[in-house]
Order: sequence, then C-alpha cells, then structure tokens
Amino acid sequence: MPSTEEQLDELTDASFFLDRPWITIVWDDPVNLMSYVVYVFITLFGYSRERATELMFQVHNEGRAVVSSGRREEMERDVARLHEFGLWATLARDDK
Amino acid sequence: MGAKSSNPSKGFKRVDSDTFVVVFSPSEREVLVNLSGQLIEILAERVDVVDEDPLAEMVGITGHDSPPDDAVLLRLLPNAYADPVESAEFRRYTESTLRAKKREHAMHMRTHLVEEDESTISLNEQGAQAWLGAMNDIRLALGVRLNVEENSYDYFELLSPEDPMQAVFAVYSWLGWLQESLVNTLMVSE
Repeated sequence: MPSTEEQLDELTDASFFLDRPWITIVWDDPVNLMSYVVYVFITLFGYSRERATELMFQVHNEGRAVVSSGRREEMERDVARLHEFGLWATLARDDK
Repeated sequence: MGAKSSNPSKGFKRVDSDTFVVVFSPSEREVLVNLSGQLIEILAERVDVVDEDPLAEMVGITGHDSPPDDAVLLRLLPNAYADPVESAEFRRYTESTLRAKKREHAMHMRTHLVEEDESTISLNEQGAQAWLGAMNDIRLALGVRLNVEENSYDYFELLSPEDPMQAVFAVYSWLGWLQESLVNTLMVSE
C-alpha cells in the first residue's frame, strides 16, 4: 500500500495528465548491422520497411532516434525487448 | 553501425516457408561452437543473487541492481535509464529474464551444432530467430573486446597478418556477413 505522500507524488507528477510522456531511444553503436536494426524495428514495432529504414538512418547519422513513445510501463517493455535483440536502448521522460 | 562485408560462400538460404539452411566447413562450425560456448560462459559469470524471498525469486527478481563490471556483460545487459537509481531498479526486476533469453539463444545454437554432425544446418523460423540473437550477441561481445569503432575495418586491415587481433577481426567480419545473410532471408517474408 503506497503512502499518502507517494500517492500525492504520483498525482502531482506532470506525467499523470499527459498522454504519452515517455520515449524509447535507440543509440548508435558500431557493431549492429544496418539491415539487422531495420529488421528489429519491423519485427518489434510493426513499422513499414520505409519507416524502419528511416529510423535506422536517424540512429546512424544523428547518434540516436526516438523509436516509440507511450506510458512508462510500455516503454520499459520496449527497452527490454530491444535489449533482448542486442540494440542499445534507454527510456526517458519526453521533455518536449 | 557496422557496414556490410562480403564473403564468397553462400550463407543462409530459405528453402521453404519454415526451413532455413546453411552449410558450414568444419572449421567454421568449430568457431561457432567455441564462440557460443564462450557466450554461455560469460553470461554464467553473472549468477543470480539468491533472494530469501521465494516470491521475489519466482518473479525473477535477481537482486542485481548494479551494472556488471565487465564491459562485455555491460554491453549484453545494458542500463535502461541514464539515471543510475532508476536503472538499478529496472535491472533488479528484468536482468535475470534478459540473461536467460540470451543464454537460451546461445544454447540453441551450440546444441544444434554439437548434436547434428552434418555440414548442412537446417533451422525452422524459431531456430533461425535464436541463431540470429546468438550471432548478434557474439558480435557484440567480440566488438567490445576488439574495440570496434565505425571505421575499424581499415584499421584491422592494416594490422600485420601475425597480429592475433586481425584473426579475431576476420571472424567478427565473417559473423557479420553470416548474420546479414540470415537477416536478408528472414526479411523476404516480411
């Protein structure tokens, strides 16, 4: 049972009212193959090959890309799956 | 990200909707048996912390909340948050599952290679997925040990042929090519 203080924290947490406050970020690394990264994005997120390729190039050229957004628990699931595939991924609160 | 590399051999082929085949030479097979074995070994170094709470153990809470010291293990079991406190909490609940998955993939590959003595390896789609994961994990581990960077290809090409690192890099490149052939075969069905 969370304390009243914790419950208040939860309520005053800015993310409580926002619809999609968390993001999953994939970071560039020199080992993962471009084709494999595209394959993972298609398999994991159901993205079209075009969308997956676009995201892969964003990771490659800019060093990182936001690959999904949503509730924190959903992003934790995404990050766990990306780690299973060996991609370097983290989640963070969306600051935008 | 790693670039494509080429190899005169053939790599993975899909022969029907649920069958993938690849032909290995005895030395290629030996390399894969050895590397998958090493992967299993290094994953085993990160043993579960025995929790006194049986429920915690049941739901896979390993008690590990600090990241691994070894760079290879850290790459295989990375932090999920930039913040160390949040990362530790996430790790405590998830690392055991992630480690088990990676071990399962490596075991699948190794068992297949050891038990079937044919030069042709035949996999169903599920097996192909496991191999894909294992090959990627092996490459991640080799990449850390070799200090692979974006333009490492040129660097390793210039090493003396006697340099043992060049031989390791050759294996790493071959694995990249092999993995690429499997990815391409799997993507045709997408």
